Amino acid sequence: MSMMLLLRQIRLFSQVELSRLWLTRRGLMTLAATAVVWFFLLRYAIAPATEILQEPNFQKSLTAAFGMLGLHQLLNWPAPELTLYWMLSLVLLPFLSLVFTANQLSSDAARGTLRFISLRSSRTAIVLGRFCGQLVVQLCLILLSLTATLLISAVRQGGISWQAIEAALLISCHLLIVLMPFTALMTVFSAWARSSRLALSLAIVSLGVVFGLLSWLIYHQPNAAFLLEYMPGAQIWQLIPAQGWQSLQLAALPLAQTAVFLLIAQQILSRRAL
Amino acid sequence: MQNIIKVTDLSKSYGRNKVLNNISFAVNKGETVALIGQNGAGKTTLFSLLCGYIKADSGNMQLLGQQPGSQALFGKVTALPQDAQLDPAFSIGEQLSFYGQLQGLSARAARAETKRVLALVDLAAHYHTKAGALSHGMRKRACMAQAFIGSPALILLDEPTAGLDPANALHIRELISDLSQHASFLISSHNIFELERLCNKVLYLQDGQLQQHHAQPSENIAHLSLQLATAADTAVDTSEVCQQLRQLAGVTEVTAGRNHEYQLSYQPQMVDDFDIRLLQCLAANGWQYKQLSKGKSLEQQLFSRKKAAVV
Repeated sequence: MSMMLLLRQIRLFSQVELSRLWLTRRGLMTLAATAVVWFFLLRYAIAPATEILQEPNFQKSLTAAFGMLGLHQLLNWPAPELTLYWMLSLVLLPFLSLVFTANQLSSDAARGTLRFISLRSSRTAIVLGRFCGQLVVQLCLILLSLTATLLISAVRQGGISWQAIEAALLISCHLLIVLMPFTALMTVFSAWARSSRLALSLAIVSLGVVFGLLSWLIYHQPNAAFLLEYMPGAQIWQLIPAQGWQSLQLAALPLAQTAVFLLIAQQILSRRAL
Repeated sequence: MQNIIKVTDLSKSYGRNKVLNNISFAVNKGETVALIGQNGAGKTTLFSLLCGYIKADSGNMQLLGQQPGSQALFGKVTALPQDAQLDPAFSIGEQLSFYGQLQGLSARAARAETKRVLALVDLAAHYHTKAGALSHGMRKRACMAQAFIGSPALILLDEPTAGLDPANALHIRELISDLSQHASFLISSHNIFELERLCNKVLYLQDGQLQQHHAQPSENIAHLSLQLATAADTAVDTSEVCQQLRQLAGVTEVTAGRNHEYQLSYQPQMVDDFDIRLLQCLAANGWQYKQLSKGKSLEQQLFSRKKAAVV
């Protein structure tokens, strides 16, 4: 398939996913659910915690307790709201991503809609298009929640600094990269399963089983501990204290994981009877 | 003649069940081909193989000189797969426009093309209606409309009129008949009457094999179907009718069916005005006819031998 056609079709699939988010009842429900979750997080977690984070005693304690781990770097973000957003997002969004991106292919395959599409597009383009579409949708949700966080910070501080905007852009880039392997993992399971619910269940069970097996292996063979570094989201703990654009060097592992998962998804869909 | 479809030694099994067993056939450009067979004969499997939805166990298939599913066929081969549905969350106009864009049309051209094909299936007023809000018959027509987007050279239709009311089924048959001037069709259906009117070639699948391929009319023997009208007070003796009909010049065989239906085989080279003589025979005996048609129906061509064997 020519590269131009592939890119064009990926763009078309991404546009459809954006339309699904903004113009369909299901998409609007996703937006509403995201808004509610972030409202409660901002109102009852981030806003009160911001005041605690600014207290000198807390900052000294954090530096003393976690200085070795570099967690005191969290205090260097230009706005404490961004610090809390960053920590919460890194932990929460991968799990939410599994839920929100579970229906990339399974419903269309079960309904037969993929039969219409596959007469006009390669299965590779379908896999990449749906994956990119989900990334664009998640980027929208990240940008919306980040904008709300910046607004809260602006209201508290009476203005917004360029450093805060730059930090927000860095956060959105990092989060998108963090979510890539989780989204690609759901591309694999949605290419395999007959329903989004089954795809989500398979993903959760598979991750649990793999973690369990690795834990058992490491218990008996401590030298195998390095395998944990190749699991999806393994770089998150290194990312928490990370600052500045140079921290994007941690993106290599999630990008490689994403490429492997997408290759597996493409192979599954290519062999699947539609 | 240019082959639109060329299938050679195609086989497909599901577990131990061999659905298609070394079938071979070709469809030429401009032909409208009927795919007939009982439930489970392998019609939908053959459709799925031709569309690239499933892989064959062995054999070779070429559509327009390409393997099924290849990029060169995008937009040139379209299909109405059995039981496939549009996404209920989007309007049918949005989805068909998207398909048009995938085929290479610009957004504006895809919208215009969508309006054209929706008008073909009498759904022009439903461009903005969500697929989930349409009735079964309307959804079927919307699914069929997607097969007409662009200018496909080959259109595969699996049960195109199943579930449609008679008026819409007739409309779809007329539409296929019109479009067959510009594209080749492969149509699967259980409606023999429908296929007889639309198709000029028949593929008959039975037990995974192609049993009959293109029923050519014989030049030596012609056929005629006759149904007599019967009034309540008049009883027509079937054996008497058969006897009278056999006495007509050129007649080689007369078989009686139910409801006063008779099949006549005759040698057309022996008598030019056979139908006139037949009508004269009916008039002389005071028999009214309800229907008189030349040739054997597709149903008789395909199933009479099997039926006779069963009897």
